[in-house]
Amino acid sequence: MKELENQGKKQTTDSLSEIMNIDRLVHSPARLSILTYLSVVEEGDAVYLLNQTGLTWGNLSANVTRLQEAGYIEVVKEFKDKKPHTLLKLTDRGRKAFQGYQNKMKKLLDI
Amino acid sequence: MDTSDQKQIERRVFTSFFQAGFIEAFTGIFLLQLGLPALFSRYGFGDWESALLTLPIALILLIVVFLVRRFVVTPRLGKVKFLPERRRKLSKLIIVPILTLIAGAIVGYIFTENDSLRHIFVGQIPFILIPIIVFGAAAYFLDMKRLYVYGAIVGLVFPLGKYLETVIVSRNTLPATILFTAFVFLGIAIVFLVTFLRKYHEPEV
Repeated sequence: MKELENQGKKQTTDSLSEIMNIDRLVHSPARLSILTYLSVVEEGDAVYLLNQTGLTWGNLSANVTRLQEAGYIEVVKEFKDKKPHTLLKLTDRGRKAFQGYQNKMKKLLDI
Repeated sequence: MDTSDQKQIERRVFTSFFQAGFIEAFTGIFLLQLGLPALFSRYGFGDWESALLTLPIALILLIVVFLVRRFVVTPRLGKVKFLPERRRKLSKLIIVPILTLIAGAIVGYIFTENDSLRHIFVGQIPFILIPIIVFGAAAYFLDMKRLYVYGAIVGLVFPLGKYLETVIVSRNTLPATILFTAFVFLGIAIVFLVTFLRKYHEPEV
C-alpha cells in the first residue's frame, strides 16, 4: 500500500517537474496561436496571422518579436507595390519547439 | 493538439481562401459561356458569331473577378504559401479536368464514328458526366463538400433544360434554364463576397 502511495507521489512530482519544464515562450495563448497557424503553412504574411489569430496589430507585433528573438520564426520585411509587407515563417527550431510542446502537453494531460 | 487537429486547422485556413465566392463566380461564368451561345444560335447567329458575342462578356467578368481578388480580397485575407502536401493536391486537381476532357474527346470520337452508338453519346451524357467528374475532383482535392452539390447542379442543368423544352414548348427554354442557373451562381458569388467584406476589413498598418 505504502509502495503504491510512493509511486503515486513520484508520478505527481514527475508531472509537476514536467509542467515546470514547459516552454513558456510557446505556452502563451497568443504565441501558441501564432505558432499553430504558421505550422500549417509554409509561410504567411502578417495579415494572414492577424485574421486567423484575431490578435491586434500591437499584440501580434510584440509576440512575433519575442518568437523571432528566440529563433522560432523568421521574419522577412519587404516592400510590395510601395507598401510594407511582412512575411513570417516557422524555423526548424520553432517547429521542433512547437512539436515538443505538443508532445509534453499530450503527456501531461494523458491524451 | 494532435495531427488530426492540425489537419483540421490547415483545412479551415485553406478553405477560408475560397469564401469570397470565386468558385461560384467561375461556375456562373462557365454556365454563361454555355447558355449565351445557345441563346444566340436560336436567333439565327452562327457558331462563330455566337462565340464572338459571348467571349467579351466572359472576359469582362473574368477580369472583374481577378481585379476583385487582387485589390479587394487578398489585402483582407493576406498571402500564404501552403505546405507541399496541399500544393501537390492542387496540382492533381489541374490534371483531372485535363484528363477528363481528353478522355471525353476520345470516347466522343469513338462513339460518334459508330452510328449505332452515336445516339448514346451525342445526347446529354458528356454534359452530365464532365461537370460531375470535374466538380467531384475539385470537391475532393479542395476539401470542399459544397462542390459535390455544384457538380450535381451543373450536371443536371442540360438534361433539365432539354426536359423543360418538351414541357414548355419554346425555343428559349434550354438557354433560359442554363442562364437562370448561371445567374443563380453569380448571385451566390455576390452574396459570398458581401458576407466576406462584412467579416474582413482591410487592416490599417
